[in-house]
Amino acid sequence: MAHFPKYMTTVLCIPRYQKQLPYVMTSVYSQIARSEKQTEEFRVLELVKKSAQRSARRKAKKIELLPPRTNVMPVDQDWSSVWPGPRSFHPASVPLPLRQGYNKKGVSPGKFANAELMKIPNFLHLTPPAIKKHCEALKKFCTPWPEELNDENCEKHFPVEVITSDYCFSSPDIREPMARIVILKVKLSALTLDKHAKDKLLRLVGERYDPSTDILTLTTDRCPLKKQNYEYALYLLTALYHESQKTEPWESEKTVADMEYYDWEQNVSYKNVLGTLNWPQSVKDTENFKLTPEMEEYKKAISDLMNKGEDLYTISKYKEATKKLLNLPEFLPLEYTTA
Amino acid sequence: MMSSLRSTTFRSCAQRSFQLYVNLVRQSSTESAKEIKIPRRIKRGPTDVLKALAATVTRDTTAPHYKYQDDPFLTPSSNVGKRTFAMAKESGKKAARWVQNQHPELFQHKVSFPFIENYTPITVYDENSAVDENTLKRVIYYAQVSDAIKVYELLEQKGINVSGSTKQSFLEMLCFFNCEDPLPEEFLEERWFHLSTKGREKLRKTWKDNSLAEKIFLSFEQKDSKAYSAIIQGMTRYCQAERAWKLYEECLEKNIILHTETYNSLIRVVHFLKEGFEHRWKLVQELLEEMAKKNIHPNVGTLNAVLEAVSTLPNQRQSKEYALRTLSEFKALNIQPTLASYYFLLITFCKQRGPISNILVEIMDTIQGQEFSVQDPKDTYFFVTAMDVCRNHLQDKDLAYRVDELLHTGNNYILIGDSYKESIYYRHFFVLMCTLESLDVFMDLYRKIVPHIYTPEPAVMEEVIKTIDMNGAMEYVPQIWSDMVVFDHVERENVVTTLLDSMARNKLPEESELISQFGNIAWDIWKRQEEDVEEDRYRQWRWTGQILGDMMTLLLRANQFKESCIILDKLNRSQQNIVGVPRVEVLQLFLDRCIQEKDVKAAIGCVQYSADAGFSDAEQMAQKLINNISLDEGILARLSNIIGKNLSKID
Repeated sequence: MAHFPKYMTTVLCIPRYQKQLPYVMTSVYSQIARSEKQTEEFRVLELVKKSAQRSARRKAKKIELLPPRTNVMPVDQDWSSVWPGPRSFHPASVPLPLRQGYNKKGVSPGKFANAELMKIPNFLHLTPPAIKKHCEALKKFCTPWPEELNDENCEKHFPVEVITSDYCFSSPDIREPMARIVILKVKLSALTLDKHAKDKLLRLVGERYDPSTDILTLTTDRCPLKKQNYEYALYLLTALYHESQKTEPWESEKTVADMEYYDWEQNVSYKNVLGTLNWPQSVKDTENFKLTPEMEEYKKAISDLMNKGEDLYTISKYKEATKKLLNLPEFLPLEYTTA
Repeated sequence: MMSSLRSTTFRSCAQRSFQLYVNLVRQSSTESAKEIKIPRRIKRGPTDVLKALAATVTRDTTAPHYKYQDDPFLTPSSNVGKRTFAMAKESGKKAARWVQNQHPELFQHKVSFPFIENYTPITVYDENSAVDENTLKRVIYYAQVSDAIKVYELLEQKGINVSGSTKQSFLEMLCFFNCEDPLPEEFLEERWFHLSTKGREKLRKTWKDNSLAEKIFLSFEQKDSKAYSAIIQGMTRYCQAERAWKLYEECLEKNIILHTETYNSLIRVVHFLKEGFEHRWKLVQELLEEMAKKNIHPNVGTLNAVLEAVSTLPNQRQSKEYALRTLSEFKALNIQPTLASYYFLLITFCKQRGPISNILVEIMDTIQGQEFSVQDPKDTYFFVTAMDVCRNHLQDKDLAYRVDELLHTGNNYILIGDSYKESIYYRHFFVLMCTLESLDVFMDLYRKIVPHIYTPEPAVMEEVIKTIDMNGAMEYVPQIWSDMVVFDHVERENVVTTLLDSMARNKLPEESELISQFGNIAWDIWKRQEEDVEEDRYRQWRWTGQILGDMMTLLLRANQFKESCIILDKLNRSQQNIVGVPRVEVLQLFLDRCIQEKDVKAAIGCVQYSADAGFSDAEQMAQKLINNISLDEGILARLSNIIGKNLSKID
C-alpha cells in the first residue's frame, strides 16, 4: 500500500486526469458505476493517446420496429380495403408465403426484396369479392338491357360501333392528347352497295377494310377534341357511302390494268386462245364469238386460277382444261417428255 | 404517371345520330322489327363512378395513416415518432416554399394547366412595386394580411384613393385576423398538431389596441353599421370586451342597426364583462331583447352563443333550466342545434362536482345516425366531451359505443378536430372499455385500434396492464411488452413497475412457455437500462428495490440463475441509489436457489444484503445456509460478522 499515494500524485499531475476529475464529481448517477469500476482496479497510465480510446463512438440508437403487418392481419379481414387499387407488390402487406424466381441451388427466393415479384403485374386489387363489390356499387348507374335485343339482332339494329378511351392520371396538366382518338367500325354488309359502289368504296378506303371480317375501320384523330373527331368520323362514313353510289364520267376510262378481278374475255389470253384455235386465220370479230364447251371450261379454269389464287385444285383444273382445249392426250408418250 | 382506366365501347349513341343507320337497316330487313325500347341514360357527373368505387373501400386498421410510408421500417408507432414524421414531412414543404420565395426568378415558368396560383412564389411589395386598388382587393381576397397592410401603406404614400367598399373589406380582414398573418392553409400537419404545443391556454385579451384596424375604423368619415359590426366583432373575438361594449353603447346612442353576428359575439363575451350569475344573465337578456326590438333575426350562432354564456354561469340549477329553455325557444324558431350546442349542454349539465345527469342519452337519441358538417368552431369539442362524460360522469359503455358509431357515420370523423382531441377521445374510450368490457372484447378492440389509429399513453398502458392483471390473463403480457417497447414506454418507471408486479404476482402453471418469456422480458428490461445506454444523455430511470425484486423472481422462475446473481450484485453495490427494498420472499427464494446450486458467494451476498436492508429474517437465512451447505471457518466467521452473532451448524 506504500506506493499508492505516490501513484495518485503522479496521476494527478497529468493534466488530462486533472480535467477529468471535476467531470467525475459533477455527474452523479450515471458516472458512479464508472468511477466505482475505476476504484476497483488500477487505472492504466497512457502517455501516448490511443485514437481508438479517445472518441467513444456514439452507438446508433436502436429503433424498435413493428413487425410486418402480415403477422397481425385477421383471416376474415376486408381485403379490398387493404389493397384497393393497382399497386406494385409490397411484401409486408400481403399475407401470402409467395416464392418467385430461380435459385440455382435451393428453393426459390422469398417475397421480401424480390424484384421478380415487384416487376410483374399483380391483380390483388381485383379479387372476385372486390369485383362483386364494385359491380354492386356501379349498378345504380346501369339501366336494364332491353329484352328484345339479343346477340343476333344486335348487329342488325346497331351496326355501327364507336370506340373511345378516357384517361385518369395525376399530372400538372389536365389534358391528355390520346383521349381525342375515335374509332368507328361498321360491317359493309350493313350498307346497301351494288357491285360498282362496293368496288369504288373499297378503292377509296384501301387498307381500312378487313376482308376476312368484312369490317371497315375508320380511325380519326386529326381534330383536337373527341367530339370533333366523332362528328368527322360520321361525316366521313356518309361521304364515302354517297361517293361510292355516284358514277363519275372518268370512271369509264377504266382499263384492263385497273380491273379488280380477272375477266378472261377482256384479257390477252382470250385473243391468244382464239388465235391458236383458228390458226392460220385470224379472228376479227372477237366480241360476239360463240364459245365452245371446252372454251367455257377453260375460261372458268383460268378465271378461278387468277381470281382465287393458286393452289393444287385450281392448277390441276387449269391443266385439265388446257389439255381438253388443245386436244392433248391424257398421258403423253415417253418420247415427248423431257428427260 | 398516366394509366388508361377504361375504354368505352358503345354500340350506339343511337338516340341522336344513328337513327339514320338504324332506319336504313330496318328498311332492308325482311321481318317486321319489334320496337326496341332503350331506357334513358342515367345522368352522372364526371367523377360519380370514381366516388361510387371509392365508397366500397373502408379504413384498413392494420395500415398506418396514408401520410406515412407503408413500410415496417418507416412506419412510426410511438406518439413522438408519429408527430416527428409528420412534421418532418411538412418541414420539407416549408423548405421548398422558402427556396421558392428566396429565388422567385427561377420559378416564373408555368407548369400546370389550369394555372394554380398557390404554386407561384409570393410577391414582395416594396416602394417600387406598382400597386393600385385592384392589388389591394386581390391580397384581401387571398387573406394575405401583412401584404395587404403593406399595399395599403403604399397606396397612402402614393396618395391613391381607396374606395369605401374596399376599405370596408380591408377593415373586416384586419379585425378577423387581428392584423397578424394566419398559419398558411397548406401546412396541414402543423394545424393538426398545433394544439398539443399551444396547449389549452386560458383565453386572454390579445386584441392589439391602437392597431391599424382601429385607425382605419376611425378614418371612416361616416361610421356605418358594417364598420361598427366589423370592429366590435374583431374586438370580441380577441377578448377586448370593455371597449367592444363601449362601441356597442355608441351604436345604441346613434341608433345604428348592427348585424346578427355582432350580437352573437357580444353575447359570447358576457362573462368577461360581468361577474356573478344575476348580472351575466341580465346582460344576455338585455342583448336578446335589443335584437328583438330591432327585428334582427337570431341564427344558429345566436343559439350557440347563448348556450356558451349559460355554461359560464355559476349557479348550476338555474343554468340548466335556462339552457333547456333556450334550446326549446330556438327549436320553436326552427333553428336546429349543432354539435357545438350539444357540447355546451354537456358542460352545463355534466359538471364534475354535481349531480349525475343523463342528458347525453337524450342527445344521442336525437342525433343518432345523422351526418354533420362543420357549422361552428366549437363543433369539434363535442365528441371529446361526450366520451369524457361517458367515462367519468356516467361510466356507460353502451353509450360510448353509440358515440363511437356516430363518429364513424358518413363524414363525421373530420369533426374530431385535431390530434390532441383525437388522442384524448381514444384515451377516454380505451380506459372506459378497459374497466367495463370483458377482457377478450377489449383486447379485440385493442388490436384493432392500436397502434395505427391511436397509440396509448403510459398512463393508459398502466390501466390496461392492471386490467389484465385483475383478470389473470397472462397470455396477453408478451404482446403488451412488445407494444411498450415499440411505443417507447420502457423508460417509464410506473408502467414497468406495474407490469413486473403483475407478472411476478400471478403464478403460472409449471409447463407454461410464458415463464421463460417472462424471464426474457425481465432480462430485456435489465439490458435496456444497464447495457444499451448512452452515458451522456440524462436518463429519468431510477432503479427501485421492488422492480429489481420482481425481476429476480421472474428470472429465478425461468431458471436463469446467473442473471439473478447479477441483479443481486447490483442491489448490493448500489444500495444508496436504489429506492426501497425487494420483498423478503424474493431473497428467501434466491437463497434457496443458491443452496440448490451450491453457490456460496451469491448466498453470502444475499445474506449480506438482507442484513444491510434490515430484514429480521437475515439471521434465519444465515442459519439455513449454514445448515444446508458445509462452509469453512473463514466464511462462517464472515457470516457471523454480518449477523453480529456467533453462528454454528445446527442439525
